[in-house]
Amino acid sequence: MDLTWIIIGIVALVVIIFFYYYNRFSVLSNRIDGSLSQIDVQLKRRADLIPNLVESVKGYVKHEKSVITEVTNARKALMGAKGIEGKVKADGILESALGRLFAIAEAYPDLKANTTFIELQKELSTTEDRVAYARQHYNDSILEYNTLCTTLLGKFFAGIYGRVKKEYLKIAESEKKNVKVEF
Amino acid sequence: MPEKIDFSDQISSNKWKSFFLIAIIFAVFVLFGYVVSMTFAPELFFMIMIFAIIISLFYVWLGFYNSGKIAIASVGAKEASRQHHKEYYNLIEGLTIASGLPMPKLYVMNSPQINAFASGRNPENAVVCVTTGALEKLDKRELEGVLAHELSHVANYDIRYMTVATVMVGMIAIASEIFLRSLWFGGGGDKENKNMIFIVIGIVLAILAPIVVQLVQLAISRKREYAADASGVKFTRYPHGLIGALKKIKNENQPEKKISKVVAPLFFSNPFKNLGSTHPPIEERIKILEKM
Repeated sequence: MDLTWIIIGIVALVVIIFFYYYNRFSVLSNRIDGSLSQIDVQLKRRADLIPNLVESVKGYVKHEKSVITEVTNARKALMGAKGIEGKVKADGILESALGRLFAIAEAYPDLKANTTFIELQKELSTTEDRVAYARQHYNDSILEYNTLCTTLLGKFFAGIYGRVKKEYLKIAESEKKNVKVEF
Repeated sequence: MPEKIDFSDQISSNKWKSFFLIAIIFAVFVLFGYVVSMTFAPELFFMIMIFAIIISLFYVWLGFYNSGKIAIASVGAKEASRQHHKEYYNLIEGLTIASGLPMPKLYVMNSPQINAFASGRNPENAVVCVTTGALEKLDKRELEGVLAHELSHVANYDIRYMTVATVMVGMIAIASEIFLRSLWFGGGGDKENKNMIFIVIGIVLAILAPIVVQLVQLAISRKREYAADASGVKFTRYPHGLIGALKKIKNENQPEKKISKVVAPLFFSNPFKNLGSTHPPIEERIKILEKM
């Protein structure tokens, strides 16, 4: 009689553990998907801001068309980029083109005083922060997921449920020099 | 940091502590009912006990589901408008992306002090409040550091425990005051010793209850602040924002007069310079952050 209860208890415990790991894996992998789409949303918002910026700059910066074309092309590349790695890389190129454009803008006091331009500049830097945040959250989520995949029991269940370790989002070489991380 | 903090452990420990605290407070309330009925009307014992249980359930429920609102109301904060506080909204939105938290409700309280707090029973019902002083005196990165610290309290479920503790401490304090007063006004003329004993127990309880709860709260509050500093930096990856804010607080803050002492542990920095030790010393926090 007692033995039956012990066996029932053990079976119940095993079932609970199975459920727990199944849910844990699915929660963590949903979080990764969510943060991935967040990166997409923020990159899209960024790309949407560029035409307005170009429009507001055009009238002032007449002699430096090349920078404007560079920004426009970088935006096009971002819109057409495939896969998250490609998009993030394209965003890096856009970021450095924008950096040059803003540097040139310093020489035009009228442009610098233009409220639309100031607004857009602020908005762009906000979205850039958010892209960085979204990528950070994506990598944090992957870290948590991978930890579960490689630690004891988790490793065992990863095999059963067919979960494999995921790749971190790498930072493109060109971007490495101006990240704000200061650890 | 003296010991390693595991955040998922901290979350479940906060949930358990909140649960136990609520259970203790419930028990204390029921005990009050018991003492009151034994002191004043032993013949109505069952009536009073049922009444006490209903009232304590109601109080605990009220305190739990409205903890955020009660905290906001007690400091007289107003909801922040998106037009007037664009940067505040922008920073919080960025941080919610970094932390994966839902968007909290944002409030502003009128005070020249640099300060902030978060409250609510869970991340879905969280509120974040900053002072007008913080919005004016801190630059963007410093404000972001402070807000990240507050969002860490949200993410770690500190808000549940701390708000439950403060709101319920407030209620116990009020309840015990009422009990003491009713003893002075209505309790004279009893001859039996038994009643005297209950009066003494009642007084001791009335004095001890808030102190005990406050002590529990003080003991854990410091570690919480260090942990929130650390995970705030995990969100922003930029300790210097928070360091800058702490330095400004150290140099500029004058003791606050308007807010109740009960809600002090909720705040980013201690609003009262010399009251107890709800917060670790600012110098110590800066030192730890500089090592990150």
